[in-house]
Amino acid sequence: MKRVRPVPKAAPALQPPPKANKKPNATKPFVSVAIARAPSTTIGKSNGRPSASITPKRPLKQQSNSLEHGEDSDDEEFGDVTIDMGPDEEGDDDSEQEGDDEDFEDEEDFEGSGNDEQEVFPIGEDDDEKSEVNSAGREEDGSETEEEDGSETEEEDGSETEEDDYMPGDSLDEEELKEEDLEKVAMSNDNGAYKKKLLPEIDPVYDSDSSTEDVTNTVGNIPLEWYNDYPHIGYDLDGKKVLRPAKGDELEKFLATMDDPDTWRSVTDREGKEVVLNDEELDIIRRLQEGAIPDAGYDPYEPTVEWFTSKVEVMPLTAKPEPKRRFVPSKWEAKTIMKIVRAIREGRIVPRKTTAQKPSYYNLWTNDDKPREDHIMHIPAPKMRLPEHDESYNPPAEYLPTEKERQEWEATDREDRPRNYLPMKYSSLRSVPAYNRFIQERFERCLDLYLAPRVRKNRACIPSCYYLYSFGRILSTISHNTTTFLFYWNQQLNIDPESLIPKLPSPKDLQPFPSTLSLTFIGHTNRIRCFSIDPTGLYLLSGSDDNTLRMWEITTGRCLHTWNVDDIVHFVAWNPNRDLWCFAASVGHGRVVVISPPEACSPELAAVTDVYLRAGFAPIKGSVDGEKDKAVKWAKPTEQEEEDGYRLVIQHSQSVKQITWHRKGDYFATVAPDAQNLAVLIHQTTKHQTQSPFKKLKGLVQRALFHPIKPIFFVATQRYVRVYNLMKQELVKTLQTGVKWVSSLDIHPGGDNVIIGSYDKRLCWFDMDLGVKPYRTLRYAIYLSVHIPNPMRLWIHIRIYLCHTYIPSYHSQAIRQVSFHRRYPLFASCSDDGSLQIFHGMVYSDLLQNPLIVPVKILRGHEVVNSLGVLHCEFHPTQPWIFSSGADGSIKLWT
Amino acid sequence: MSQEEVTQVQVRFVTQQRKYAVIDSAILVPARLKRYGLSEIVNHLLGSENPVPFDFLIEGQFLRTSLSEYLENAGLSTENLITIEYVESMLPPTPMSSFQHDDWISSVKGFSQHSLFLTGSYDNYVRIWNTSGECVSTFRDHTAPVKDVAWLEVDETQATCLSASQDQSVLAWQYSFSSDDQTVLYECKGHKASVESVAVDPSKQHFATASWDSTIKIWTSSIPTEDETDYVEDARHKRRKTHKTDDRKSKSAASTLEGHVGPVSSVVFDSQDANALYSGGWDHSVRIWDVEQRVNVSTKVMTNHDVNTNRIQNCEKVVYGIAHSPHSKLLASGHADKTVRLWDPRADDVTVVKLTLISHTLWVPTVSWSPTSAYMLVSGSYDGTCKLWDIRSKAPVYTIAAPLVAKGEATKKVFTVDWEGERILSGGEDCQLRIHSAKM
Repeated sequence: MKRVRPVPKAAPALQPPPKANKKPNATKPFVSVAIARAPSTTIGKSNGRPSASITPKRPLKQQSNSLEHGEDSDDEEFGDVTIDMGPDEEGDDDSEQEGDDEDFEDEEDFEGSGNDEQEVFPIGEDDDEKSEVNSAGREEDGSETEEEDGSETEEEDGSETEEDDYMPGDSLDEEELKEEDLEKVAMSNDNGAYKKKLLPEIDPVYDSDSSTEDVTNTVGNIPLEWYNDYPHIGYDLDGKKVLRPAKGDELEKFLATMDDPDTWRSVTDREGKEVVLNDEELDIIRRLQEGAIPDAGYDPYEPTVEWFTSKVEVMPLTAKPEPKRRFVPSKWEAKTIMKIVRAIREGRIVPRKTTAQKPSYYNLWTNDDKPREDHIMHIPAPKMRLPEHDESYNPPAEYLPTEKERQEWEATDREDRPRNYLPMKYSSLRSVPAYNRFIQERFERCLDLYLAPRVRKNRACIPSCYYLYSFGRILSTISHNTTTFLFYWNQQLNIDPESLIPKLPSPKDLQPFPSTLSLTFIGHTNRIRCFSIDPTGLYLLSGSDDNTLRMWEITTGRCLHTWNVDDIVHFVAWNPNRDLWCFAASVGHGRVVVISPPEACSPELAAVTDVYLRAGFAPIKGSVDGEKDKAVKWAKPTEQEEEDGYRLVIQHSQSVKQITWHRKGDYFATVAPDAQNLAVLIHQTTKHQTQSPFKKLKGLVQRALFHPIKPIFFVATQRYVRVYNLMKQELVKTLQTGVKWVSSLDIHPGGDNVIIGSYDKRLCWFDMDLGVKPYRTLRYAIYLSVHIPNPMRLWIHIRIYLCHTYIPSYHSQAIRQVSFHRRYPLFASCSDDGSLQIFHGMVYSDLLQNPLIVPVKILRGHEVVNSLGVLHCEFHPTQPWIFSSGADGSIKLWT
Repeated sequence: MSQEEVTQVQVRFVTQQRKYAVIDSAILVPARLKRYGLSEIVNHLLGSENPVPFDFLIEGQFLRTSLSEYLENAGLSTENLITIEYVESMLPPTPMSSFQHDDWISSVKGFSQHSLFLTGSYDNYVRIWNTSGECVSTFRDHTAPVKDVAWLEVDETQATCLSASQDQSVLAWQYSFSSDDQTVLYECKGHKASVESVAVDPSKQHFATASWDSTIKIWTSSIPTEDETDYVEDARHKRRKTHKTDDRKSKSAASTLEGHVGPVSSVVFDSQDANALYSGGWDHSVRIWDVEQRVNVSTKVMTNHDVNTNRIQNCEKVVYGIAHSPHSKLLASGHADKTVRLWDPRADDVTVVKLTLISHTLWVPTVSWSPTSAYMLVSGSYDGTCKLWDIRSKAPVYTIAAPLVAKGEATKKVFTVDWEGERILSGGEDCQLRIHSAKM
């Protein structure tokens, strides 16, 4: 709170401040304040002068003291304006300022960067210290005005107001009275001026000098004390002396001061005129005295906006002003642009063509389609047939079908009908019913269009077989509407499907081959695993699960002899030598017997055979026993057995599944798959010796065979057929069958072709000259569709005769046995599906000509018992006949 | 009807049977007539009270259709004069009796004068039957199934028979009707395989045997005085040796005809010429042999001339049984392809299948010509039937089937058939010697 203590009335009377005393006071430190910051800030009502001279005053206490003891201290300047600052407030301010001192350093610097100079006193260092502002332009020291705000006076305590009341009465003086008079006049004037002051007389925007219009002292900016000795103080525009305003004496002044309530706020300007300061100016002065910022509207403590900060903001938005460089055009950009401009001028850059916008959808249903422009590979969609007369609703009578034709039409398969409608007669168009196959026909038409090939193939000839093979695979993938496909295929290729049928001979021309069942050998009561035909082709020997071996006369089907062997017969094999009359049979668990049947044998032949078979006994017997643990034991049959034809008994460690004779009839090999390394043994009948040709055998041996001519031995394991040279004792080659489990093996009598059958329904034909992969693999193919349209039938037909791989009618179950004919170009396979399949397999002596394989016949007749069908098949050695034995206990002869 | 009645054909009936001759003039007969109608007409012309069935031949072929159809097929008009030959129709064979055997019957031969039947069976026995069904004699000396039998000589007191067996021997034995004892005259040894067929030449001087050892052996029918061959010592045949009677002499072949490359299944002499021998075998050939020269005169490989394709087709079928007709001089052969083929041995052409008779459904192991007719033959087949053929017609005239076979219950193979006199004898798997009367 500001407290202005009015000067006691008594005090002025006691104190006529001498002029001379005033001057030293003026040397007191002062603050020349220039209000720098805001241009809108004016420095009080000092008539636009750059600086206001305010006489500093004593501290308020001193002043009051001096007032109270006015008589004592005359030397004190009376006229000094003393403004007492509220100690409390100052203390508060001080404390605030101290606390915020550092914070404002920047601001002070910033302010300091301004143009206006400023001297700053340490603000509020001492509560009691009074800052005195001495106006440099103040000439008259004597005229001291104690400024006092009237409004503030009112805010003072009641005790002080008493003093106020007292004041007017105290300060009456002579001079003051004069002045009072004058001032009264001035008051009257001032009243108006005062009102004027309310008007925006001083526009803060510019420095108005309008108040100086009346008096224009042109003396210049020189110290006015230079005119102290002159009556004038300067010159006006006309060059006349501006006279010093008249001054009353001190008494008058005092009186005027007493009378005039505005005395305390009046100051003399440079020319000595009295100027009454208004409230704003007083406020500014007060602020200057306080060392505060003069402008009341300026808030030095505005919230800081950190334009530049070290903190990384998450949102990089910033309102910081763009740097200048942003507005300076880039040199490189200008170069680049010029480059482009030059290119455009030279025509190197042309504007992009605007492509026609593709429609996002097409109008499917429009009728006025533009014809597609001809592309070289374009194939137009096939056209619908135009309707003919018989499609009329009222066709002429000759187009109407007769009853017979109608029945024929209805009897034919829908796919085979020449037309898919029957001409119908209606009396009027109105009576024509809705067409019931409309949707079906649309659908088929769509299928036609969908399946029509859109690429023209101009291949004139096709490598027939392989293409068809692949085509067959395509067929198998396209299950529906193959008719259409074939149709277009044929149409586009201009190939008659018939011409693609390989020129295979008709089965009729490949006769003879077995085709009908001629004889059935009835006698066995259980499945017949094996049989063998004697080399002359007159007798047949069969071994069955009913523990019997039977010898049959082939021509009549007569059972000539029966051996009861007390165990299952696994395999029988006639000795292929015609000069010997014996066979070997594998019975039960590893017992191999060599039997010379007493029937159908001349005495000479029997004698030769006996000698042959028994030759080994006498000399070797001792050595056999003496040798270490042998794989097999050769033994003599018992007396009773010998009567029945038994000649040799060879006991193996494991059951023998196959016996195969060497063509000369001396050696035979046995295959016992479970016997590991002794799976394949070669026995010599004359010497009663057994040798194991393989030290180690890979895989489970299924079959073994001697080469019909050369000293070569074939061993079929589950997946491979190994070919050994017995002379050199080395592996010649390994045939890779590609099947999972080989069931049987046979060698062409020429020796260069091998067929194997497998339990996974395949038959592989190997040409030994063509490598280790099968030359042909015959396998079963499944019909995809029961309903086969007409061309499809044709193709199936073709595929049967192609027999590249897929034969639709091939065995659908495991193949048990494959067999070559020794004389005719025939081979056969038999399977668990109860059928035999006969193939024409011609091997040409010309090495360049590949074997010809033609399926010729499927023989069905065996019953499938417990999912076992035909277990064995073998061709007659001389006739084009084949024998088969099955699980149904019968042997059949097919001729 | 009226239109058909109008259609009449001018025919002329001729016959070679004098007793049935009618007037040799053309008469008009309705064209719709078949065999029965024509037969009625002929009987009417003959005026016989007991109608005789006649068969009618036009151009050597039996008329099996109506006259009009025949004309249509032949492309003749009804204006033509047709000469129709008529023969007395053969009555259907009627079963007379059947004699039960113990085993399959492999061969049968009849002897008409004495009404005796000789059968060989798979039970190793050869039996002589008379018409009353009595087994007159049983010959038990074979050790293996008997495959073929033949009469060598039969007179009032004794009969001499030949039997060929699987034991590779042929035995000649004599049966005396009066004393009812049998003696083995000799044993023909030399074959190395089953002897399948034995045939006696018309002069009864020689007989031929065919064996599976692919040879044909010619033997004389004279009784040897001593063993002509060395007996092979064989332990296996010890027992037979003990059984052997002392009077059995072994006989060696007079000559051996080698030419067949496979088993020979059948052999037959020319019924007139003792020097000509015909044989058939598994090598699909029918061979003609000159017995004295011991040469294969000609080999007829069975080929069919297929008219449609104009191609000689080799049928490659095994010949099982052959027979020679004394009247037509033709050879008939039964085959493993269900057919009976007729050959003319006199033709030089190699491919001379004159006719192929197809009706059987299985192999035809045996054929036999009629002893009286030049056109008739009978064939037996594994399908259990015997069929009578008239070679003037392609279809069998009659089919004789065993009762069971007729019912379709079982198929019993027929192994042998013999047309002897007025009887047709057949035997086979059903162990029955069936006798049918076949009167011409």
